[in-house]
Amino acid sequence: MRQLFSFVLLSLVSLSSFFVSASAAAADYHEQLVLRPLPLSALLASFNFRSNTSLSEFEAHNFRFFPRSLGQILQHAGTQELHLRFSLGRWDSESWGARPWDGAREGGTGVELWAWLQAATDEEADHKWLTLTNALSGLFCASLNFIDGTRTTRPVMSFQPEGDHLNTTAVDTHLLYGVLPHEVVCTENLTPFLKLLPCKGKAGIATLLDGHKLFDASWQSMAIDVRPICPAGGECVLQIELTIDMVLDIDRSKRPRDNPIPRPPPGHELPCNTSKPYHSHDTCFPTDHQANQDWTLSQIFGRTMKGTCPLTDPTVPPVCLQVPNSRSVYHSDGVLEKKNLDRVSRCFEIKPDVNFEIVLPTPDDESAVLVKPETPLLYAERSFTGHGQERGGVQTILRNPSPDTEVEFIYMESLPWFMRVYLHTMSARLQGQSAKDDALIKEVYYRPAVDRARGTQLEVRMRVPPASTVFLTYDFEKSILRYTEYPPDANRGFDVAAAVITILSPAAYNLRTTSLLCSLPTPDFSMPYNVIIFTSTAIALAFGGMFNILVRRFVAADEGPEVGLAVLKKRIKERVGALVEKIKKDKGQKIPYEARNKSGKANDSGVETEVIKE
Amino acid sequence: MSAQPLSSNDNDAPITPITPKEGAPASTRKLPPPEKPSDVRRRSHVILSFWLIVLILGLPIWWKTTTIYRADLPLQEMLEWADGKACRPVFPLRISIQATSLQDQEAQNLLRLTQHALDDLNDFAGHHLRLQLGDEKLDSADNGSALIIRLTPGEGTTATLDPYEPILDITYPPNTIPSPTASSSPLATYIASQLRTTFAEEQATISYLLSTNSMPSEHRPLGLSPETTESLAKRTTRSLKYAPTYHLTFSLFTSGPLPSSWNIEGAIDEYMKPVLEVLSPIHNFTIDTQVQLYASPGVQNQILNKEDLSSFINAAEWPLSPSIGGAPTINFIVFIGNQTIANPSQDSPTSQSWLIPQWGTVYLLSLPDDTTHVAAATLKQPLLTFTSHLLSLTGTPESGSLPLRLSTLARIRSADLLLRASSTLGSLARLAMALPSISIPSSVADGVTKTMSHLRLACDNLGGTEGLAHARIAEAEAERAFFEKSMVGQLYFPDEHKIAVYLPLLGPVAVPLVMGLINEIKAWRKRRRERAEKGAEKKEQ
Repeated sequence: MRQLFSFVLLSLVSLSSFFVSASAAAADYHEQLVLRPLPLSALLASFNFRSNTSLSEFEAHNFRFFPRSLGQILQHAGTQELHLRFSLGRWDSESWGARPWDGAREGGTGVELWAWLQAATDEEADHKWLTLTNALSGLFCASLNFIDGTRTTRPVMSFQPEGDHLNTTAVDTHLLYGVLPHEVVCTENLTPFLKLLPCKGKAGIATLLDGHKLFDASWQSMAIDVRPICPAGGECVLQIELTIDMVLDIDRSKRPRDNPIPRPPPGHELPCNTSKPYHSHDTCFPTDHQANQDWTLSQIFGRTMKGTCPLTDPTVPPVCLQVPNSRSVYHSDGVLEKKNLDRVSRCFEIKPDVNFEIVLPTPDDESAVLVKPETPLLYAERSFTGHGQERGGVQTILRNPSPDTEVEFIYMESLPWFMRVYLHTMSARLQGQSAKDDALIKEVYYRPAVDRARGTQLEVRMRVPPASTVFLTYDFEKSILRYTEYPPDANRGFDVAAAVITILSPAAYNLRTTSLLCSLPTPDFSMPYNVIIFTSTAIALAFGGMFNILVRRFVAADEGPEVGLAVLKKRIKERVGALVEKIKKDKGQKIPYEARNKSGKANDSGVETEVIKE
Repeated sequence: MSAQPLSSNDNDAPITPITPKEGAPASTRKLPPPEKPSDVRRRSHVILSFWLIVLILGLPIWWKTTTIYRADLPLQEMLEWADGKACRPVFPLRISIQATSLQDQEAQNLLRLTQHALDDLNDFAGHHLRLQLGDEKLDSADNGSALIIRLTPGEGTTATLDPYEPILDITYPPNTIPSPTASSSPLATYIASQLRTTFAEEQATISYLLSTNSMPSEHRPLGLSPETTESLAKRTTRSLKYAPTYHLTFSLFTSGPLPSSWNIEGAIDEYMKPVLEVLSPIHNFTIDTQVQLYASPGVQNQILNKEDLSSFINAAEWPLSPSIGGAPTINFIVFIGNQTIANPSQDSPTSQSWLIPQWGTVYLLSLPDDTTHVAAATLKQPLLTFTSHLLSLTGTPESGSLPLRLSTLARIRSADLLLRASSTLGSLARLAMALPSISIPSSVADGVTKTMSHLRLACDNLGGTEGLAHARIAEAEAERAFFEKSMVGQLYFPDEHKIAVYLPLLGPVAVPLVMGLINEIKAWRKRRRERAEKGAEKKEQ
């Protein structure tokens, strides 16, 4: 499968480069949708839109296929190459196999951004990065502006530029990488994405993109890649490639939109595995994988495809389907089906203004329903170990399924500063061995975190021998945050970005682990007031006692003033009596207000004298 | 207390035991032994030292740590600027008269008479036309005059404005030269009225600007008719806020897939660049262009009414985001479509474009359906429309020759900036006075000082290019000071919050301190009284 993808990719690249060199104006844009049914009633849909603009036009601010809004940002922030990813869900490589595009067009959960910026100094690069993230944040309605110093790293080994950077030196080009694992990708990110396309969502394969379906997918990744391409002998072009990959659950997609709640099917409709010995009229073992492979385009995407984008390169077929050639597929009129020589894919050439629809009926031959997924080069799983609120550990399980090839890769983590990594505890060991194996780790690049200023950057070049599993572990300490640093949902935990694995040999391949949720010691948030009140009470007690000892006079019990309940009673009685007498007096004769007041005062002071000084 | 050694050799008279007051119940209790004077004194010292610590150490520290920094602002001066008391905007315009055919004496005489006529006509002191005799070799740029009047003898009395130079050509019949003794002359009156017409719009605009700001009434010109005010108000709201740089965005929108390219660069170079170059002393321009397909307008009607025009721009879908460089964006949109605009007056031809105040222009261009490329020649009419709309969006006056309009624009803009900066200063002063808990960082004070010095310079050089530059700086500084982030960014602490923090500590601490002080004062007064009584008793004895 990977070869197939790379074949398609290669042919596209060669085609586009051919057209660029032949006639700059003819085909600067093309789009293609590749549909690939996957096991477990899943369907991978890969949308790819690519357009070129010559660098001279770009610098003259004349935008035709290249979106102006993005072009302005790139020019303003001095960006040479940009990669932006919005991802959701998890690619199930155990059942779905290798990733589309060799993992080059996907990111970890949330938002990922890396870019090569042109700047003379690191400070200037940081400044431009800030401009870039803020502007992109506005353009894509994402919280990219929260990519600050603590979430930005400068990878050393992991990322390589995809474009041709001719007239720049390594000194003034800075690679910055930022990641926001907590960001939830949703429809508001898709709308600006569609606006970047020359045909918007109005014609061509982009008409199939619908927020309801895209974000209902089991896994989806939106990618934007901008890179300069300089073909030999030709003029340099700036290429923007927009990619959307999604794995749709066919069952779920086929549910009617007005009645999306899943209900158990009645017993006689259950697909049962009749080969099981215990299968009977009241026992059913559900069939897996092969079921539900009949679908139509409009069932899956909720609508049919509306013609083709007239700007697109006519030599690139807009839709390709990867099922074995023996399987029958029906399509609407005005569509030309072409089976490819590799026997596992076919493409459709569509006339403009034709509503395109394909129907895959329930297959007759159970064995030739799917193209068998290709085994990926490496499986990776990452999880937390340990317990308690003080320390923890991270364990990554890396499995090489190949029986004879060793895999060499770079494992990169960018961890938040509040995870304090103990680098000395980092070790790699083979499964089945208890001792750590130093030969597995070839090179380590480590940049320690600075509290509240930058995160940990850890890049490890390592290898996994054939048919073996390696455990990479390290411990860390959780720090306690300041009161205002906790988010409103502090008890949910803190997202830790996915680890990026870049495979160097035997072939270029990328994969990312899932992101993790780290729970930090979370205080009770009424704490500051409790602290204020507790300490104040303690201070007040200590102060009051000390002060009284210093200023009071101590006498024998029978020498002091009389205290006790009887004294209090007597005093209250006296006061009440005085008050009653006064009221009687008031009623009897009208005393002017001042005089009454004076008499009251005199009375008061008379009582006061009894309060004997302690 | 008992640790105190008994000081038997104390020569002070022993303090009499506390005698119960009148009305107190006859006590059977023992009285405490008399207190030693040293104990009493020590108690006073203890209380005094606690209070001294609170007052000398505690209060200043509390004050220092909780006070909000407020830099000193010259509030009175700022308000004076806002009220227009600090600067009286005067635009002295020098006008040269070139009269080579006249004798020096005659020319002087004509000048004097014309100046008289002008002064009689003028009712607005802020806008002053001053005549001078010009040398022919100097042109307007060298001697700083706004206009040159070239007097040439001819058949009749005519006046024409040169379209490319700030020159007013006036011809006169030779017999109209006033005699040296004449107190009035038809030629002088004619010149004066011509000048007045030429500068009427500028005068009206400036007096409108002054009247909309809070200028004191004695500087406020009178005599603006309601219609003039209305048209001026319309024009002022239409024009963009002054900025040194404007960003022009040319967009081609089409509702279908065609056309997908246009030769906008060539068209701009040919039809718009000349005007942009003329405007360059006042504004800089940056340009970008884009093509957007499948852009459906917000209104689907074939004939657009006046109400439809405001919703024609589909703001939700059309990517018309402003430029991110900080310069305001002016949008020029060519929409490919055969919609027409319904004209209220049926006799005039249907128009193709409309201007959106402070935003830009839309031009409807109808093309054959199969056009794939829009040539530069097709874009001529749209771009000429855009050019004229650009002038009105930048606030250029409508009448007069282009050089005169531009020099007027510079003067109007400097007056506008001056007034704007002054009113910002006033707002800042009022804000500082209205919110006593707002912090004023020193950068704001710096900004205010800079603004005022540049305002002063601008006020002194009004009418020149220097004045515009100073007014521009002043306005920028004033805005910066007003929108200082740290002023508004401070946290809000309600009073309940403060009580919740202070009371648990200060309450329990303050009660013993205050009670101790009160008791001590009472005891001290009592001791004094007793001592006085004793003294009296001694005297009696």
